[in-house]
Amino acid sequence: MATIINADTSDGLKLTSDTSGQIDFQSAGSTKATIDTSGNLKFDSGFGSVGTAYGVRAWVSFNGTGTVAILNSGNVSSITDNAVGKYTVNFTTAMPDDDYSVSGTAQDTTSGSGTSAPSVTMKDDTSSITTSALIIDVVTGNGAAFMDSTFVSVQIIR
Amino acid sequence: MRIIYETDDGGVAVIIPTPEYLLTHTMEELAAKDVPAGANYEIVEDSVVPSDRTFRGAWTWA
Repeated sequence: MATIINADTSDGLKLTSDTSGQIDFQSAGSTKATIDTSGNLKFDSGFGSVGTAYGVRAWVSFNGTGTVAILNSGNVSSITDNAVGKYTVNFTTAMPDDDYSVSGTAQDTTSGSGTSAPSVTMKDDTSSITTSALIIDVVTGNGAAFMDSTFVSVQIIR
Repeated sequence: MRIIYETDDGGVAVIIPTPEYLLTHTMEELAAKDVPAGANYEIVEDSVVPSDRTFRGAWTWA
């Protein structure tokens, strides 16, 4: 059961309520989005049914060359420049745990075939990923050296 | 503004604040949050940090 807000195609807005604590948003009687009692936001958006949306909880893009410049961010308080190709992403609001997913990319700063395209990686060290910060490395395509890139982006999904 | 601090190995790390954070917080608040506990640090102008990163790993705290 749920409190239902339904945009009916013949009668307009219909509201039915109960005490379950869940809210369903419907179009013509079909549920398109839900907020359940655990606070999970679920939506359809072409998926075929409502499914939980997992959010990007933090993100940042920055230029790692010269004096490091942050281009834009969300829920990131700062970047720590530790050395060539070595950075820490510090979160404004900490993650609930350190099991979050990380993805990132770095722009190839060399011209040519792109075989030297850099990678965003993490050390084999549990201290690299904490609830308050994430340590990343930017390495050359063959992994032989740390490097600075003109565009580095990182996303944290939880 | 930047925050520079001495790392455990005698090197220097530089903290670059995000514009979004500075909308609602100060550099002092950022230092309290993001500088490792016990580390020597200083809040400096951007121009104090060298733009030449050729020997970035060799920077030392003085």
